[in-house]
Amino acid sequence: MRWRLWLLMAPALALLLAIFAAPLLHYLWLSTQAQSVLTGLKPQPIGAQQWLRLWNDGRFWQDTWQTLRFSAASVSLEMLLGLAVALLLNQPLRGRGLLRTVSLLPWALPTTVIALGWRWIFNDPYGPISRLLAGLELPAIPFLSNPALTWMATVGADTWKTTPFVALLLLAGLQTIPADLYEAAALEGATPWQTLRRITLPLLTPYLLIALLFRLAQALGVFDLIQVLTGGGPAGSTESLALYAYLNAMRFLDFGYSATLLLGSFAILLILCGTAALMWRWILR
Amino acid sequence: MIPPRTLRRWALLLIALVGSLSLGLWGLATERVEPVSVLMPAPFTDATAELVSAFNRSHPRIALSVTRGPLETEAVSDLAISSLLLGDSPYDLLLMDVSWTPKYAAAGWLEPLDHWLGPDALADLAPGAELGNAFGGRLWRFPLLADMGLLYWRTDLMEAPPRTPAELVAISRRLQREGRVPWGYVWQGKQYEGLSCVVLEVLRGFGGHWLMENQPQLDSPAAVAAAGWLRDLVRQGITPEAVANMGEPEALQLFQAGDAAFMRNWPYAWAELNKPDSPLRGKVAFTTMVSEEGQPHAATQGSWGLSLLAGSEHKAAAVEVLRFLTSAEAQKQLNLRWGYTPTRLSVFEDPELLAANPVLADLQQALAAAVLRPLSPVYAQLSDLLYRDVNTVITGDQPAPSAMRELQSNSERLLRSSGGEG
Repeated sequence: MRWRLWLLMAPALALLLAIFAAPLLHYLWLSTQAQSVLTGLKPQPIGAQQWLRLWNDGRFWQDTWQTLRFSAASVSLEMLLGLAVALLLNQPLRGRGLLRTVSLLPWALPTTVIALGWRWIFNDPYGPISRLLAGLELPAIPFLSNPALTWMATVGADTWKTTPFVALLLLAGLQTIPADLYEAAALEGATPWQTLRRITLPLLTPYLLIALLFRLAQALGVFDLIQVLTGGGPAGSTESLALYAYLNAMRFLDFGYSATLLLGSFAILLILCGTAALMWRWILR
Repeated sequence: MIPPRTLRRWALLLIALVGSLSLGLWGLATERVEPVSVLMPAPFTDATAELVSAFNRSHPRIALSVTRGPLETEAVSDLAISSLLLGDSPYDLLLMDVSWTPKYAAAGWLEPLDHWLGPDALADLAPGAELGNAFGGRLWRFPLLADMGLLYWRTDLMEAPPRTPAELVAISRRLQREGRVPWGYVWQGKQYEGLSCVVLEVLRGFGGHWLMENQPQLDSPAAVAAAGWLRDLVRQGITPEAVANMGEPEALQLFQAGDAAFMRNWPYAWAELNKPDSPLRGKVAFTTMVSEEGQPHAATQGSWGLSLLAGSEHKAAAVEVLRFLTSAEAQKQLNLRWGYTPTRLSVFEDPELLAANPVLADLQQALAAAVLRPLSPVYAQLSDLLYRDVNTVITGDQPAPSAMRELQSNSERLLRSSGGEG
């Protein structure tokens, strides 16, 4: 009977292999090759040299830190704000349908368009923020030209765009919670805070986890928003791992190192997720 | 009497015969028309539209079509590279930026033009326009439009433009002190290719070099002084802090609003500044970049040219297109109608154009001051190191001496690992 089980699973397994395993293996092979503009784009085996280069590449570690910083800040903000928006939109308000539609708009717009919009909002000295500050006779804030501020500007733009996505997922989750639980809580005289902590959050946990997973995966691979908003600058302070890998592949035509970079980021991601999963288990135990 | 079945068979046969015959004839007819496809950035697609239809009218055997690429230079390169990597590019010709040529040639994507165009191909080019088309002893590109860095200045604020860095600073400070402009000088300081162009001009003006005999010279006193000067402009408030994220459009916006006395930009800004609704119409002039006494007033060359792709199946027809689009007549039209800077000497000296376009002679002079960014297959990496590093100087994150030392050693390492080719 067992072979029949495998037979039935075979198509799905083949698809998974083709989509995930094959490219990964190809990249693994590519990371042991020098394939760049200097080799006429022909692969030449060079062993572990690319990996050594990665280990010694300060820019890789800087970009790793910057990608993690961006992801941690934007995803936590999005989860908090998304939850707040979802709770609000779940209330019986007048014009709730309209509100729900409007709040989804940032998510529906293409990232590039949004990044161009924010580029204008942050423009110094002609953008709306600078004008507002000038009107109040306050000095302009160099959002896009000060390395200490620019990464926060990218977090702000990302949060604005993807909070609706988190809110949508959590709103769907909120609607699965039976109303009688809340009625019972009200009868027992529970405060809103108690209701939130004892009923809403526990029942929402699977949805929170899904939203967290989706957002983390996307944030760690952030590319288009940063490419348009800052191009990785100023002073390299907003460059992400994906942007660095793109530069190596498309601008420098160094495919061997680009593959190594991507695998390196993938490894870091795996280690992070593994640690998080272990900690989660440890907390639940 | 023929039985209906036989009749039907005959009819079927006849239909098949006529059908295949006409298919064959159609095939013969279409075989004679050779399709040639060119990829260009969007603005050039618009500018060459009339030339393309003129070509198709006069060349019935070639069907020329232009693919409208993205607006931004690097986005066009991404599109071209993606198609080339797939191995079967739909394009025969590519309109290439000067900085791409060695990389594309080294990747094996381009067909040398030497034997197609003959040994005298570059003879008619104006001084400065011949640079950056050949690499490794072969011709890879023929220039269609010239581009070079210019220093724009306000004729309503001063009598004559500054010629040295110190003069530029002095005039800016005086005008700012008198409250006539909020800022002195705007340029491209963002972490991208435009900053490398700015740095090259200042570097040459201080007597330095990016590479000499394929050795980086970026920790020389001149290079440190050049980077330090750019930082000082920001520190002294002559250039706004926002310059660290400023590209060409942002610099032009600030200058055109009348908020700066000087701007570094390309020739396209001239047309923008003199549009009927421009507040600065008739109040600007341009010259070449400032330099220390005895050093060259350098203008980074940024021309566009046509390259033949090695994978093209219509090379002869494509070369005919290349000849047509880069001809003196075509360049003349592009200048008259769109203000593009020509590359041929005969076009610069055309009396009709000189009368219609009074700054043509000035542009020719600036082109003669052209300096080239390093010709190397790893130029993109070299430039990335440079603009990233100098950007940290501009933001004040790193002092110029240590930043330039770091840049020097990184550039040396890059060139060493790339086998010192260049």
